[in-house]
Amino acid sequence: MQAFEYIPATTVKEAIAILAREGEQARVLSGGTDLIVQLREGRRKVRAVIDIKQIPEVNELSYDPATGLQIGAAVPCYRIYGSPAIAAAYPGLIDAVSLIGGVQIQGRATLGGNLCNSSPAADSIPALIAHQASALVMGENGERRIPIEEFCIAPGRTQLQRGEILLSIHIPPVSPYSGGAYLRFIPRNEMDIAVVGVGAWVALDQSGTTITAARIALGAVAPTPLYVPESGAGLIGKLVSSETVAEAATIAQAAARPITDMRGSAQQRSHLVGVLTRRALHIALKRAGYKSA
Amino acid sequence: MTPPIIQAIMTVGTSLPRIDALSKVTGEAHYPGDLVMPGMAHAKVLFARRPHARVISIDASAARAMPGVLAVFTGADLPVNEYGLVLFDAPVMVAPAASAATETSFDGVVRHEGEKIALIVAETEKIAARARDLITVIYEDMPVIASIHDAVKPDAMQIHPHYAGNLMHEYRIRRGDIDAGFAGADVIIEDTYFTGAQEHAYLQPEAGLAYVDEAGRITVQVAGQWVHEDQEQIAHALGLPKDQVRVIYPSIGGAFGGREDMSVQIVLALAAWKLNRPVKIIWTREESIIGHHKRHPMWAHARLGARRDGTLVAAEVTLIADAGPYAYTTTKVLGNATVMCVGPYVVPNVAINSRAVVTNNIPSGAFRGFGAPQALFVAETQMNKLAAALGVDAVALRLKNLLRDGSITVNNTPIPPGCTITDVVQKCVAAAAVAVSAPAISGQAGSRFVTGRGFACGHKNIGFSFGAPENCAATVELHGKTTVERAVVYHAGADCGQGAHTVFLQVAAETLGLPIEKITLVASDTATSGSSGSASASRLTFMASHSIVGAARAALDKWREGERPAVAHFVYRPRATTPMDPITGEADPNITYGYVAQSADIVIDRETGQFHVRRLVCADDVGRAVNPQQVVGQIEGGVVQALGWTGLENFAQRNGKVLSQHFSTYLIPSVFDVPDVVDSVLVENPDPHGAMGIRGMAEMPFLVVAPAVVAAIHDATGVWINELPITPERLRAALQK
Repeated sequence: MQAFEYIPATTVKEAIAILAREGEQARVLSGGTDLIVQLREGRRKVRAVIDIKQIPEVNELSYDPATGLQIGAAVPCYRIYGSPAIAAAYPGLIDAVSLIGGVQIQGRATLGGNLCNSSPAADSIPALIAHQASALVMGENGERRIPIEEFCIAPGRTQLQRGEILLSIHIPPVSPYSGGAYLRFIPRNEMDIAVVGVGAWVALDQSGTTITAARIALGAVAPTPLYVPESGAGLIGKLVSSETVAEAATIAQAAARPITDMRGSAQQRSHLVGVLTRRALHIALKRAGYKSA
Repeated sequence: MTPPIIQAIMTVGTSLPRIDALSKVTGEAHYPGDLVMPGMAHAKVLFARRPHARVISIDASAARAMPGVLAVFTGADLPVNEYGLVLFDAPVMVAPAASAATETSFDGVVRHEGEKIALIVAETEKIAARARDLITVIYEDMPVIASIHDAVKPDAMQIHPHYAGNLMHEYRIRRGDIDAGFAGADVIIEDTYFTGAQEHAYLQPEAGLAYVDEAGRITVQVAGQWVHEDQEQIAHALGLPKDQVRVIYPSIGGAFGGREDMSVQIVLALAAWKLNRPVKIIWTREESIIGHHKRHPMWAHARLGARRDGTLVAAEVTLIADAGPYAYTTTKVLGNATVMCVGPYVVPNVAINSRAVVTNNIPSGAFRGFGAPQALFVAETQMNKLAAALGVDAVALRLKNLLRDGSITVNNTPIPPGCTITDVVQKCVAAAAVAVSAPAISGQAGSRFVTGRGFACGHKNIGFSFGAPENCAATVELHGKTTVERAVVYHAGADCGQGAHTVFLQVAAETLGLPIEKITLVASDTATSGSSGSASASRLTFMASHSIVGAARAALDKWREGERPAVAHFVYRPRATTPMDPITGEADPNITYGYVAQSADIVIDRETGQFHVRRLVCADDVGRAVNPQQVVGQIEGGVVQALGWTGLENFAQRNGKVLSQHFSTYLIPSVFDVPDVVDSVLVENPDPHGAMGIRGMAEMPFLVVAPAVVAAIHDATGVWINELPITPERLRAALQK
């Protein structure tokens, strides 16, 4: 592995100062499950690695039914699914954090890292987009909030500017009659990179039969995780039915721009977008309180 | 009256804990990568990483000049720059033509991506790696032949000077009258099949430590499958007498056939010899994946004819194996596939043509099953299609045609006595008929899930075939005064993780009437034991038990005669086998066979094309289970490894370049991919050839998982799959047709 300077930052300000000074030559380390592998394989070259795990703010995980869920950038997956209140409120997010890597990886890997690594196949990002999550970013000139669907701009590249650091991810409070789900397809049953991932979130009216809001996001079918607003928009105002769900899936398929690689052909990926969108919507609807006849 | 020196002691047949269990779980056991010696230097290999090229020049001056670098060795440093298990047809390191001390007709050309160019030895591994990157090699690229079909085209470039027309080897079997046979058939099944390459994926990548021992021998500690064969290959390449080379195996982290051929052995020995310093190497996973051979991809076209009542009348098979550029064990693997490709049946009229073809892919070689899984995938899928075409039960069809004692095989000779496949099939079917509670199908219920059951059976040789010299040595030493107080067993056999050394002690304890704690095993060292032959071909328990029983009995005789300590050496030689006649294939090819039958219950997600095995019943005639727990371990491990080959493991090569160089793209089964239930049915019909009735069994659980799964897919969907691996994409495409 290449030599680098390891800097354990203790404040956000310190981390920002180093990032501003070093630019591309510095990289933030939280769980390290992507970064260390990249450094070892020479896929990323840096001069400094800034460990943020000793910064209190980025280790905060808080849930308040009134204000929602706040996940510090250095909070590992296991803490999220290990909280009964969070697991009960956001099962669609739990779907994603509990299938990233394996148990050991989940002990280290963070949502912040998954987001900043900006892989097109990242498991947590479609789930976060579906849940209308946003990223809180801080730089030398203060804070700004970025919707997750705008955060990734290319494989391995994000909206973060020189000197900016991700502080936390925020998910809005749970509304009644709403539910989310994340599904991915891999050829085996664990420890693999998504061939396709689909995050879905829906809200129903008080009768539990009509869709009032819906969001669909796709993974591994475009250079970045892909929000498909038209797929969710088409559901609004409709009565829940298999046909309605199938239509949304068809719209999602049309938005996907998959490529062929070792994990699957474009054709198989496109097909799976349809299958998984349908399935994820059905799970989300069930979690939102829809009772099929 | 003198007290009996032998007490009845029951160890064979009990699940004694493995003798290495504690040291392995505590981390005390040393694998080759754990070994350290004072003054140890570190080595890295420069691989060619191109599939076909002439080496014009190698300039290592910058690497040699780097501080901390001790030496850079190339093929020119090897007295005899060649290796190979059945034929010396591969260069140890590819050197520019006319540079080697002993020039070979095949040197000077890189023929696959994993060829070695140089070995860099330095004070640290890091320096060795940096120096490796300073070596300049000038290549002249040559056309790459990456498929068996391109290799046999009339205008194809000849890849290896020994193999005209890119044909490495061929076999031919003719029995009866094939035309008359098919003329008498009421039903003929005809299809084309393909099976893919497979990576061994053992936990421990290649590693080793070489040094000059106290007796002045070049000593290599490494993980392998046959210490004496490694010794011979090292001695050959270094131009040294065998007794100046010593090979020792510490703990071995899996082998499965993948350690039968040379990886780090010769280059490490060369470095320790030339530098007179201990030299260590550890390959990364990526180096391991391109650095050792794979299971042979095979293509087959098959016809099977039967009468309406199900009696088989004719079988015709053309088999083509992708050998890669060098022989390794290809000629033997192809021979096995040839003998097994019509399955364990009586077929009066047979025509088989098989060929091994040279390509620029990674060399193919030994892998659990040694050609039989590919052959039986063809044979058993043909049988299942025949049952479907006749509208008869697949098991009943088999019972009508199975080999039995006295039956004549495709090689026109009787099957060796102890042919118990009928019993194995019946026991498998009986076990499968007993319902077990498997977990419910997860996810949403509904029509997207379909379930099915499939059956297949097979046989495979135990021990070396076709007249290859076959023997196994053991030495037993008995110590004590009036009674035997303790014993020492010397045996070369390799414990690759299968539990062989525990089994050796159990057999010794039973024969000597001594508790196992009173017996010491000195194992896997060419300096202390005669040759055992390899840990392969399901042969080690079969062969070693004979040798240990023989040596133990001889030592007891000497003890009775008053010898103290009583020491006896014994070499077991089984009945001789014969090679196949080049025109007819007539032969007595194998000592004996192992028999297996498997039943698979699967569930398929029709929408994604993913299948999962819910229950797999494996009945295996093991003769006598020396250690039942270890036998079950072999069955479960073999089944899972076979499921990987069947459905997941897609060893991708494009134009001679390996695409799946990591475990992130080469997917082996994880714990969530194993069947929900594996029923191991241990059948114990004593083998008339076996000591204590013991049969070999280690490859049998691998043999027919794939055709059983294919039959289950057909049962569930009505679709036949002819190509492995059955990836979700491939299965979904088949379902859509």
